[in-house]
Amino acid sequence: MILRILFQLVKRLAPIFLTIFFIVWLYTYYGAWDYTIKNLSEFFRLILEHFILVIISMFCAVIVGVTLGTIMTRKSMEKASSVIMAVVNVWQSVPSLGVLALAYGFLPFIGLSGIGMVPALIALFFHAVAPIVRNTYAGIESVSKDVIEAATGMGMTKKQILFQIELPNAMPVIAGGIRTSTAIIVGTAPLAFLIGGGGLGFWIFTGIALVDMGIMMAGAVPVALIAMLFDYCLGVFEKFLVSRGVRTDEIELA
Amino acid sequence: MGTMLSLQKVTKIYPGAGHIKAVDELSFDLEEGEICTLVGPSGCGKTTAMKMINRLISITSGKIIIDGKDISRLNTIELRRSIGYVIQNIGLFPNMTIGENIAIIPKLLKWDRAKIDEKVQRLLEIVNLDPDEYKDRYPKELSGGQQQRIGVARGMAGDPPIMLMDEPFGAIDPINREHLQNEFLKIQEKVKKTIVFVTHDIDEAIKMGDKICLLRDGHLVQFASPEEMLTHPKNDFVADFAGGDRTLKRLNLFTVKRAMKDNPPIINQDETIETARNLFSEINTRYLIAVNSEGRLTGMIDKQDIPGKALLVKDAVAPTNAWLTSQSSLKDGLSEIFSHDYGFLIVVDDAKKVLGWLHTEDIKETLKG
Ligand SMILES: Nc1ncnc2c1ncn2[C@@H]1O[C@H](COP(=O)(O)OP(=O)(O)OP(=O)(O)O)[C@@H](O)[C@H]1O
Ligand SMILES: [Mg+2]
Repeated sequence: MILRILFQLVKRLAPIFLTIFFIVWLYTYYGAWDYTIKNLSEFFRLILEHFILVIISMFCAVIVGVTLGTIMTRKSMEKASSVIMAVVNVWQSVPSLGVLALAYGFLPFIGLSGIGMVPALIALFFHAVAPIVRNTYAGIESVSKDVIEAATGMGMTKKQILFQIELPNAMPVIAGGIRTSTAIIVGTAPLAFLIGGGGLGFWIFTGIALVDMGIMMAGAVPVALIAMLFDYCLGVFEKFLVSRGVRTDEIELA
Repeated sequence: MGTMLSLQKVTKIYPGAGHIKAVDELSFDLEEGEICTLVGPSGCGKTTAMKMINRLISITSGKIIIDGKDISRLNTIELRRSIGYVIQNIGLFPNMTIGENIAIIPKLLKWDRAKIDEKVQRLLEIVNLDPDEYKDRYPKELSGGQQQRIGVARGMAGDPPIMLMDEPFGAIDPINREHLQNEFLKIQEKVKKTIVFVTHDIDEAIKMGDKICLLRDGHLVQFASPEEMLTHPKNDFVADFAGGDRTLKRLNLFTVKRAMKDNPPIINQDETIETARNLFSEINTRYLIAVNSEGRLTGMIDKQDIPGKALLVKDAVAPTNAWLTSQSSLKDGLSEIFSHDYGFLIVVDDAKKVLGWLHTEDIKETLKG
């Protein structure tokens, strides 16, 4: 019995530990550890910039994306929403590097600098917002008409229906959108360095340019760990936000 | 008791449906505390008629008056909160537990916590689902029939004076349906709500309705009490819909008490056999109903089956199950008469005190009116 539980535990945790072990091994092997210790204050600055890039762009994308997606489901918006949806779909197909390049090239036209943290944030935001808009819209649209009819017929106001029925029931889909966005943003954030946005991309690209694996790893490994951290946090957040009644059944790993 | 709900030439034409009237100049009045069953073939406009009452569907022409007020002048939200609503497709809120689903209207009405909890508990008991087991489950963890019962409980939660119920027992197995129907009628006896009840099952319409509103292709064919509709169907359509066995169906409308005779051949079980023998010849009967000193049924004695050494009636009594309580339907009464050899049935009250007896002739008499 105890052996079985132990076996299950090992089976479950082994992949995670192996991955982390592999990453740490790479990290020390190429001397990234020494490089980081030597440049500790710069390391912290880059981490901070990286977090700012991800968190601020994601935060804005969630607020704007959910709001826009919700507004699009309102009856009076039927026509506008199909147009917005088409734009969003095209937008989502633009690759990450392309979005940054577009920001770099386009922002000067509206009197903003194309270089620095702000253009990077704007680019990341636009990149992140599409899946959230799309999923919010689809999630709310997919709430059963019977459920809405029951709520309406019982005398709930539009606002009560939105906040107590539509959004909670659409939450698994919305959360899925947020997760997709986060994955994209965490993956794109290192590229922000290319338009002067800072972040851990600095070390990665420096390492590549100097063909110094140590510097590159000193940037790449924290990026990977941050990605895992965000995914984990979102998972916890999702559990908290999505009612058990609408959660899609998780496949038991045991 | 005045008119609670009044439909006046209510018509609905769906946009884009040409000139087809889903509901065509429908008029009827419902007294406070009455159940009206809307019945008719699929697509005859039952749901449409019902949804115009809580303004889920706009009225094309005509008027609906609730408690003296034209509903088109009322605040929609307040109107709907005063009307319990049970939809045809259940529509439970998947994100909320069963308890939260039922509590939704009381919460909107700002009842206090304790009162809401108590209400949820009571309603779950009424619909025959153990509160402790089901309160914290989610809708997806219930069977279709269980969900429908929660739908009914949710509709009743806010104690609305009016209820609209669209085939509320449609997905429920016969045993639970019968239980729910009876339970519902029992509650109705006390709370006297005004109810519009849609069903396509004529038996259910007869059982539940004080009035039956029979629709066909959007117009009213007959609006009458079940008794009236079964005895005087307005035309062949009504007669067909009510079925060839509509006389038998009327058996459901009467209680045993209504048809029984209250002069049963009773004898106290402490009397002597001699007294019994005299009584047998005096009233020319084969069976006597034995009771104890409190008048409660103890059994029956058969003139042809008295043991030789019996001194008291008590010694000759054989137990019997040929009895029914006075509130049972005549249908059960008839069935019970046929399943015994006595040719009659003993009618008792809840304490098993003998009230009367029932013969097939009495039933015939009652059906004749
Ligand atoms: N939204 C709608 N638009 C157009 N026509 C409709 C709409 N809803 C219902 N109808 C039509 O109106 C008529 C009455 O429909 P309704 O839903 O009231 O029938 P019903 O008596 O409730 O039937 P059932 O027993 O199948 O539930 C039907 O012919 C139906 O096709
Ligand atoms: Mg219907």
